[in-house]
Amino acid sequence: MTRLRRALNGIAEEAPMVDLADLALAGHRRRRRVTALLAAATVATMVAGATTATVTSIRSHGVAAAWRTEAAAAPLRSHDAAATPQTEAAVPDLPGGRVGPLAYAYRTPCDVDRERKTIDCAAVEWRVVTRAGTTYRLPQALALNDQERRVPVAISRDGRMLAYYSRQAQAHVVRDLVDGSQVTSPVTVKEERIGIGSMLVVSDDGRHVVFDPREGSKEPGLLIDMRTGKTVRIPGEYEPVSIKDGIAELVRYVKTDLWLMPVTGGGRPVRFAGAYITFSELAPDGRTVAAAEMKDLQKQKLSLLDTAGGRAPRKVAVRGLPEKAGVIATGPWRSGSELTLFALHGKGTHVYSVDIGTGRARRLADYPPGKPGGFLVLPGVASG
Amino acid sequence: MDRHDGFREFVLARQQALMRTAYLLVGDAHLAEDLLQSVLVKIAGKWPGLARDGNPKAYTRRALVNQYISWRRRPRPEAPSADPPEHGVSHDEETLDRIMLRQALAKLTRKQRAVIVLRFWEDLTEAQTAEALGCSVGNVKSQTHHALARLRALAPELAGPDSLSDLQEVAR
Repeated sequence: MTRLRRALNGIAEEAPMVDLADLALAGHRRRRRVTALLAAATVATMVAGATTATVTSIRSHGVAAAWRTEAAAAPLRSHDAAATPQTEAAVPDLPGGRVGPLAYAYRTPCDVDRERKTIDCAAVEWRVVTRAGTTYRLPQALALNDQERRVPVAISRDGRMLAYYSRQAQAHVVRDLVDGSQVTSPVTVKEERIGIGSMLVVSDDGRHVVFDPREGSKEPGLLIDMRTGKTVRIPGEYEPVSIKDGIAELVRYVKTDLWLMPVTGGGRPVRFAGAYITFSELAPDGRTVAAAEMKDLQKQKLSLLDTAGGRAPRKVAVRGLPEKAGVIATGPWRSGSELTLFALHGKGTHVYSVDIGTGRARRLADYPPGKPGGFLVLPGVASG
Repeated sequence: MDRHDGFREFVLARQQALMRTAYLLVGDAHLAEDLLQSVLVKIAGKWPGLARDGNPKAYTRRALVNQYISWRRRPRPEAPSADPPEHGVSHDEETLDRIMLRQALAKLTRKQRAVIVLRFWEDLTEAQTAEALGCSVGNVKSQTHHALARLRALAPELAGPDSLSDLQEVAR
């Protein structure tokens, strides 16, 4: 076998598993319905004496629109936070089927009555916003448990997968927003286990989730294979950062141990001297992660850490952020040299792309200002 | 017995192989799934005739390749959630080859890319490739020649001494 064939084989092996028979049949039925409706419209138009040209125009546009929204899926419009403002009363529930990838999710805040000095969290709920700018309520996702602990949701790096905890199922659910499918975890997790600072991460293919019941405690976490129900126990002192290419990235703070654990378990942690936070996922080179040393956070400096242990950390001063901006998280790598970075300044959260060679930051997108007490969940960033 | 049972069986048996072809053609998992699904929707509509007196496997492959070539390129605007750019987690030779080939394939024309996938992944003959693409054998030869020349220029490591001789042999 030539290197070309071997490389083609290698790429082909990376194709995800699919199950398309029922989706294709559903698409076929939708097409038939659209065609039938258009045929009826054609007859009506002919009866009304409309011209053939008009009918042709309606037909082609009608089919194209239905096809784009119902069958072809995956709208790739850039997220615009200001698009389609919706009033509170008009926010619909997330419908079944295909809604397109998400830009972010947020939890609504508790109602605070300053005069009576009371806080009512009964109406707290999760909402999601698609890249197309539409907001949906997510009543099926538990937002607070009976102990009023926050229950996280997570969005995959590409916005396609949404993971949440379902009170009804007492388990995690992963919903594919592009093809509309949904998988409920075979592993039940009692609601009472969800404690302070619980965290959740979902992989790009939706197959794996990491659930940490209580941040920074000795309560062990779980990596769940949504397809088989197999679990890998994660020592409680480790927190999840990401799941990418079959590797769960876990961090133990204070001593800063980074553990790149295969989703089947195994691997060994690597220790870094220094107190690092805001860890990124593994870079495309398969060995670098970005993080910020605590003492550098105010200085807007990132450190590039070598998980293979062969290179000393390299510091990158980020240029182009407002002086008072606070770096809150690193996100997915956009390429081998560009990393997304989330920063708080002004009235909201802003996304930047940072060239890790030069440190130059380029603003990519803005998230709307959250209400105090609300909570923003971003794609590819561990939620908790 | 559902009238779609035959179609379901066909998809169950072939979907993974078709998905791999689609993935090689578009280089993105989500787009590959979209592409394959859109083709399978059409195949579902034609299934009774195809099952009776057609060759569903060859027809579907042909539909997939042609849909890919004619597919309207969708805009890929910058979004805060980047797609995974590369899949390598190690630095071995095979990983580097895959990364290089991905980048090189992205620079080919759609028809050139389709020819490479059909000839070197599906192992089709020139005549079968011509049939799948709905063009002449001569056209397949010239597309293969140009695609390989481009690949050699873009990824010379992939076209090393071993690969080069094999490539030339296949291109003949």
